[in-house]
Amino acid sequence: MTFPNFSFSWEQRRKLTGMLFVAPTVLFVAIFFIIPLAMTLFMSFHDWPLIGEQAWIGTSNYTELAKDRQYLKSLDFTFRYTLLVTPPIFILGFILASLVRHNIRFIGVFRTIFFLPVVIGLGVSSLLWVWMLDQRVGIFNKILLDLHLIQKPQLFLAKPTTAMNVIILSVVWKTVGFTMILLLAGLQSIPDELYESADVDGAGYFRKLFYITLPLMRRTIALALILSVIGSVLAFDQFYIITRGGPRNSTISIVYWIFNNSFTYWKMGYGAAISIVLLGILVTLSSIQYYVLRERY
Amino acid sequence: MTPRRIVFAVLIMALCIGALPLSAQDEGVTMTMWVRNIGDQVQELVDAWNDRGGSQIELTVIPPAEFVTKMGAAIAAGESPDIASIDLIYAPAFAAAGQLLDITDWVDALPYADDLIPAHSELGTYQGRKYAVPFLIEGSFIIYNKGLFEAAGLDPEVPPSTWDELLEAARAISAIDDETYGYYFAGACAGCNAFTYLPFIWASGGDVLSDDYNEATIATDPIVREALEFYRLMWEEGLIPESASIDDGSSFVSAFGTGTIGMAGTGAFGINTYRNDHPELNLGAFHIPGQDGGAASFGGGDVIAIGSGTQHPEEAWEFLEWMMSDETQLELYAARNRTTVRVSMLENEYSAGDDLVLTAASALAVGHSPYSLVYNDLFNDPNGPWLEMIQIAILDGDIDGALQLGQDRFTQIMSG
Repeated sequence: MTFPNFSFSWEQRRKLTGMLFVAPTVLFVAIFFIIPLAMTLFMSFHDWPLIGEQAWIGTSNYTELAKDRQYLKSLDFTFRYTLLVTPPIFILGFILASLVRHNIRFIGVFRTIFFLPVVIGLGVSSLLWVWMLDQRVGIFNKILLDLHLIQKPQLFLAKPTTAMNVIILSVVWKTVGFTMILLLAGLQSIPDELYESADVDGAGYFRKLFYITLPLMRRTIALALILSVIGSVLAFDQFYIITRGGPRNSTISIVYWIFNNSFTYWKMGYGAAISIVLLGILVTLSSIQYYVLRERY
Repeated sequence: MTPRRIVFAVLIMALCIGALPLSAQDEGVTMTMWVRNIGDQVQELVDAWNDRGGSQIELTVIPPAEFVTKMGAAIAAGESPDIASIDLIYAPAFAAAGQLLDITDWVDALPYADDLIPAHSELGTYQGRKYAVPFLIEGSFIIYNKGLFEAAGLDPEVPPSTWDELLEAARAISAIDDETYGYYFAGACAGCNAFTYLPFIWASGGDVLSDDYNEATIATDPIVREALEFYRLMWEEGLIPESASIDDGSSFVSAFGTGTIGMAGTGAFGINTYRNDHPELNLGAFHIPGQDGGAASFGGGDVIAIGSGTQHPEEAWEFLEWMMSDETQLELYAARNRTTVRVSMLENEYSAGDDLVLTAASALAVGHSPYSLVYNDLFNDPNGPWLEMIQIAILDGDIDGALQLGQDRFTQIMSG
């Protein structure tokens, strides 16, 4: 008779150790993502008031979406905003990254200055911009008046287009440092030898940019773009704090509409349904970007 | 920090947090109370209560436009306050959701139960049971600057009583100089305009909701269109400062205080603020007029209720009873230019000869308070149809579009 062998082989121990290492992450993802996601999905099939009894209503929340004009308006607005805000962040981020690329004296100071707005909370920075845009005490009106560019204080938030523009300005200021850091890492990973041999071949700045820099930064750009687009599609704080969705409800982003339905109109189930749809949209968008910017060699 | 030190620090923190409720219990009962931010009268009242010793109240002030959102979220999270001062308009919704304590027996036992302001008492009642009592009595009216009336060549003792007279007065005041405006309204504040603009419609015999509050009458009632045209005209002629278009309510009270505004809608909460902060202003008040005379007011303000989840119902009721008592009403309400919660005390030794306080009190006689479970979604929501309709009509001039939008979205919200 032989006794079962309880001691693990080296291979088994290796697997067990690996599982122990991923366990905290699995647990974390399960508690903070999988379970809430399942709950959201469950709620989206209910009439689920913030206070009171909930009832199963099947897919009614989803069919309701097609009739919800503000939902369609918000989707449209969110995508327009994303399309408008992404290019400036990237172009400016790339320029800044190029500027702070080489290790010269005091470069740390500039990198820090450009990155500083990123570490401020978006809520705080939005409040800051509310005051900077104010018609009585705001710095922008003061500067424009002193330069004689305007005759009287402007109400930046009174018109949909100017409101959108100043919000884009505030978000670019707030987030460009982050894109800069990502692109900087990509830039610095390109070996100098490539540029040197291009110089020998007589390539100009734009040739080097399009044939060396951008192709070799494909992965970095993909990462930065996906993060930036997700951030823009999920935009909420700046509209909630700076414009309150106005003027004429023209700046209600899709997340703002989820918030309004869930907490102002007390329709949690409906808010959950929009969230699920938004999740689908984001997964699709990110997949497309990832596919387009994939490594091809 | 070494791992052992971190563990130690966490343990200490856990002990401190665990000890907090214990130490609070030792010092007597502390209750939480929520109120929306309209003036400082509630803080004064709570301070006076806390100074008496005994149970203490911790006051949290919420921005008015956020109240329903925050209160709903707190209730859903099981963290509702012991005492809540609620915009009377929302009282039925919170009572219907079972979030307010039934205080029928306590209220009925009061010797002055029948003397409480009727509009507030009605909205504090749900299916025959009482859940809230009157707390802040705010009938809307128009405050005016007598100094500017005089400067414009108007008789400061004869305020306008029709829309045309109001328009003429606003024109005359605006003509004084470029910095002076005849009229003011907060163009990006939904609740402010329910409070001060709806009465223009009511006073002319119109309404935006049917008598049973089940249908929207925005597109069918001609008065609504005329009221929008009336404000639009004042806006177009520049009788209202341009900054009004982005006022989300934060300048609703302060704009008039600058002394450059002839007339503005307000409530009793404004009287003390203007008198204390701007003693130089010579103030007058008149009821919100109808097109050809008449008057109306929004019977607004707050009722006060006890949260159904409270651990201290008796202490909370003691505060409510103290608040409604003769002494508090006289010394902390009447003496400070506030409208009392008791009908028989509306005229008192302090209000005698005080036009502003008497106008605020008599506004209640012409006051309406819509009774709707979706009031917030219709009127007070900053992204709701009421504000969007007002902005499109008055600021953009598209009155047809505004009426259609208002009618459609009101109907959609009321149909669930």
